[in-house]
Amino acid sequence: MPESYTSPLLISLMTVLTATVITFFLGIAAARWLARYNGRMKNFIDGLFILPMVLPPTVVGFGLLLIFGTNSPVGQVLRDIGVQIVFSWPATVITAVVVAFPLMYLTARGAFEQVETNIEDAARTLGASEWRVFWTVTLPLAWPGVASATVLALARALGEFGATLMLAGNIPGRTQTIPVAIYFAIQAGDNDRALLLSGIVLAISFLSLLAIAYWKGRLPRIRIIS
Amino acid sequence: MLKAILKRELPGFNLDVELYVNHDLLAILGPSGSGKTMTLQSIAGLCRPDEGCIELNGRVLFDSEKGIFVPAGERRVGFVFQNYALFPHMTVVDNIAYGIRRLPRTEAGRKIKALLELLHLEQLGGRLPKQLSAGQQQRVAIARALAPDPEILLLDEPFSALDTQLRERLELELLKLFEVFNGSMLIVTHDLVEGFKMGSKIAVYQSGKIIQCGSRDRVFGEPVNRTVARLTGVRNQMDGEIAHIDTGFASVRIPAWGSEVRVALRDGSQQIAVGQGVVVGIRPEYIEIVNNEGPNVFPATVLQVVEGIASVSYRFHVRADSAERHYLNAVIPKSEAMCFREGEVCLLRLPPGQLIIIDE
Repeated sequence: MPESYTSPLLISLMTVLTATVITFFLGIAAARWLARYNGRMKNFIDGLFILPMVLPPTVVGFGLLLIFGTNSPVGQVLRDIGVQIVFSWPATVITAVVVAFPLMYLTARGAFEQVETNIEDAARTLGASEWRVFWTVTLPLAWPGVASATVLALARALGEFGATLMLAGNIPGRTQTIPVAIYFAIQAGDNDRALLLSGIVLAISFLSLLAIAYWKGRLPRIRIIS
Repeated sequence: MLKAILKRELPGFNLDVELYVNHDLLAILGPSGSGKTMTLQSIAGLCRPDEGCIELNGRVLFDSEKGIFVPAGERRVGFVFQNYALFPHMTVVDNIAYGIRRLPRTEAGRKIKALLELLHLEQLGGRLPKQLSAGQQQRVAIARALAPDPEILLLDEPFSALDTQLRERLELELLKLFEVFNGSMLIVTHDLVEGFKMGSKIAVYQSGKIIQCGSRDRVFGEPVNRTVARLTGVRNQMDGEIAHIDTGFASVRIPAWGSEVRVALRDGSQQIAVGQGVVVGIRPEYIEIVNNEGPNVFPATVLQVVEGIASVSYRFHVRADSAERHYLNAVIPKSEAMCFREGEVCLLRLPPGQLIIIDE
């Protein structure tokens, strides 16, 4: 394949992998925190976390531009330390994280809430710290749900278009991800290129769904001594 | 020695109990929602009372005034959950090993082997919980709780998920286990037969309070009030008044029946005086069907018959002069009486030694 094809693919893969790793930990941390938090702000925070999922991508993109633009306080601090987010590769990661996070958070929270409190309590009475309870009991028991959440987040990050275009732009070889490349290929009348890139997205997305089906109902074995 | 003074306020429910247990098998008996499980959870450190203190063998586990709250994992309290709460993603051996991973490997291995033997699980070490029967799961839950050498073992409705046969076998096993366990055991149950079988001491719960706590014979033989009597199976309760007292006996007038019953008094039992209003109670199992009139014998009409395997449950209407109906429930062993049908009249004897006087 000529470089003009591999470049959007590589950028998308790098972006998606980085964004998925970040989303995984952020989403799990947020889900676990809110599953236990019982304050008055619970519904408010919950809504805030899910918001990017229901907003038009242009609104998300515009919001991110406002936050990271050179006129905002965040943008100015970043500029002072020599970092520019807008129209750079990290911008593709940031938008991917923002749009994938609600899926990760929602699905993971559902999975954590499904774990029987009694089983976690049993681990506590057996001397386990909260940290150990989480890694040896809660997460493994929630794993089918968390794994699905991760794959969904990955697929969503891969498909991100609007907000990415607004914050990261369309710089071939730097910020042009597959969805953006498809859009501009069609604009330029290059249907072959659009078709090939679409095929790649289709394949990755379908494999993701197969992965979810595989993980459903499979608990990872935890070994203590045997 | 366990000392637990617990107060917790929740919307619509207040827990307010004091428990002292010294190397005993204590059954906590009471209806669901009476605070039994919350008591166990508080002792184990799984929930935090608003006020009170908990001490186990001299160690302070909780003290609201001093702000002490020892986390669950450091309390040395073993907990067997109602649905066993085994780790479904670990083998039997790993479930048992979970609480002793800090022990040296060989020692942990020895301990697990001993526990597998004690609870007859030798062949099942490599299985996952879902590959076990309910009885085996319960034994794994007990083995897992015993592994870190707890100083007390708390069991929350341990038999509720089992069928009758298995239940009776595991009750016996648990009693045997208590003999070798060096500490107290607290068993929560809403089943009074189970409470009677398991507990050398019994605490009766009602709406977040302990309404009676004492030796099994005392709680079942001398319930302090109507509620304890009802919760411990004294389903027949009649309002009455002490008519006169002889040596060892009292006669209680029951206005609703228009007659008197003779009640044998227990040694050192409660203070009663002539003219005092009391409740007379008797368990359905102690009522006898007789052929001849005599003391404590009353005619009654059969209202309802439910035939069991070895006994027949009757609901009688005592033939009083008044228009009101006064019921008696009786469970009669089949060999002792022919089966009566609804509407038939028979003679019931209330043995004086089985009648209980309950202070009002």
